[in-house]
Amino acid sequence: MSAELALHHRVSQFLFREARLLDERRFEEWNALYLDDGEYWAPATPGQTDPFNHVSLIYENQLLRKVRIARFSSPVAYSLQPFPRTAHLVSNVMIDRHDPATGDIKVNSRFLMIEYRRDEQRFYGGAYEHDLVEKDGALRIRRKKADLVNCEGPLQSSRVYF
Amino acid sequence: MAALVETKPRAIDIGALVEPDRVHRSLYTDPAIFDLEMQRIWGRAWIFIGHESQVAEPGQYYSTMIGRQSVLLTRDADRRVHVLFNRCAHKGAQLVGDRCGKAKELRCAYHGWRFDLDGGLLGIPLEQGYDGTRFDRTSPEANLAPVPRVASYRGFVFASLSADGPDLQNWLGGVASSIDNMVDRAPEHELEIAGGVMRYEHDCNWKFFIENLNDMMHPMVVHQSSSLTARLIAKKELDPAAPTPAAIEIISPFTESYAFFDEMGLHCFDNGHSYSGGKTSIHAKYSDIPEYNALMEKAYGKERFAEIMSVNRHNTVFYPSATIKGAIQTMRVVKPVAVDRTVIESWTFRLKGAPEELLRRSILYCNLINSSANLVGPDDQESYRRQQVGLETQGLDWIAMHRDFGRDEDLGGGHTYAKGSSDLSFRNQWRAWKRYMIEGAR
Repeated sequence: MSAELALHHRVSQFLFREARLLDERRFEEWNALYLDDGEYWAPATPGQTDPFNHVSLIYENQLLRKVRIARFSSPVAYSLQPFPRTAHLVSNVMIDRHDPATGDIKVNSRFLMIEYRRDEQRFYGGAYEHDLVEKDGALRIRRKKADLVNCEGPLQSSRVYF
Repeated sequence: MAALVETKPRAIDIGALVEPDRVHRSLYTDPAIFDLEMQRIWGRAWIFIGHESQVAEPGQYYSTMIGRQSVLLTRDADRRVHVLFNRCAHKGAQLVGDRCGKAKELRCAYHGWRFDLDGGLLGIPLEQGYDGTRFDRTSPEANLAPVPRVASYRGFVFASLSADGPDLQNWLGGVASSIDNMVDRAPEHELEIAGGVMRYEHDCNWKFFIENLNDMMHPMVVHQSSSLTARLIAKKELDPAAPTPAAIEIISPFTESYAFFDEMGLHCFDNGHSYSGGKTSIHAKYSDIPEYNALMEKAYGKERFAEIMSVNRHNTVFYPSATIKGAIQTMRVVKPVAVDRTVIESWTFRLKGAPEELLRRSILYCNLINSSANLVGPDDQESYRRQQVGLETQGLDWIAMHRDFGRDEDLGGGHTYAKGSSDLSFRNQWRAWKRYMIEGAR
């Protein structure tokens, strides 16, 4: 039991840290949590099985994340003026699968992102699915999937990662 | 008892608010203008409803809007396509509540009246209660009401709330060829909606979106932060000898030079329609997909295939409700909600008989450019929102559309041409807008 608890604690702390890096706008550190071939995915329909045969709100590899993050500091990124402030809350963390041999860990959780920009506060919420891998004692992200409860509904502009 | 507040309809002199080279700011901000547009433009023009492939099977239905009116695209048992008002013939409840589906019959959620997919009344609970009354179940009024005019052009279904007006093909005029070119790009000469839809809510007037499509002076400013950053990161991170990733091929051309966009050119037609590009566009340099080329050559022959691919248009606008990019097989549909609220839907097409790689590229394009959460769309939306706020200010009441005014080339039959940086497409849209609004008052 204690090993299970320890793993749950470590994974939870990792998820909280990831959320905190987003909120503190430490995007390069956030991106460093991903494997080189790690993916960020926000599907555009509930139950979407892949990012290739159906449109997605965001589907980014390392290169596209670097573009988005570099754009964050562009002086002519007008939709980022002012830059949105966020609070990501992560909860209901459950480890769905753990393979000690490969280090693969599949984590399911719920999230709420509160976003404030130019007099307006918005709420985004849903489920996270993190495919993590433990390598050399550290956790890295193979894929993070953010399933918004309203992913197929009309959505207003959003600029940062859910 | 006298009304506490006396209201009388405000007379709006439409003609005075639209001049050939400038328009009044209130046309984007006044809710009364929006109400008139819903009647006189969205209530009269051919409005895009859906693609026939969305109701490929008998019994399929798809629910959408014409302006403020809820309508259904259906396919009946005889495979005929209908556009019906989504309103029960009994007490007016919206009949279908979901976006799409398949059913043997449509049953009202309120009193259980049942209708066929062609709109015909099938049954009423305790129908004998109507015996000997003025209710006549054989009257057309017992059925779902059809939208007055429905027509399809190569699978694209349009409908008009007005019983009168030009037929669809005449109304499309020169932009029908953009649909032709997109369909011709399919080895099996047919398109299919695939890859889902994204709905992007804009907090602005619908006309900002539709005007921006062929505004060739905005990409290098609005998309500088995304497109130039993509170029820089690609240069820094990628092996120059390796093939360029499709995502970089898609984002980079948004910061082509003014000269490039000028060269693309603008073609405008009656009824507010237009396209930019022609022989080239920002979609011209995508990598070849050899398997596709082989299939196309087999289907069309080398010469015809080359002819099809020599047409490379950017946005084609079917004013006021839809726009396609034939070269990348995407479509956006305009759904006005209020004077400062619009939903833009983004769709992708499968070219029947083509390798799946083409659909995947269209999907990638929409993810990168049309998604509400991406790097390109939000910067456009920010511009529209700033216009919506900016045009509430007094002091400067007119919006200029003077660039290259009087220097358009008349190609005959309602077709005008100008270099890409011209304001021609705005002037052309407003000419149609004014005609709809004035003629619609009669």
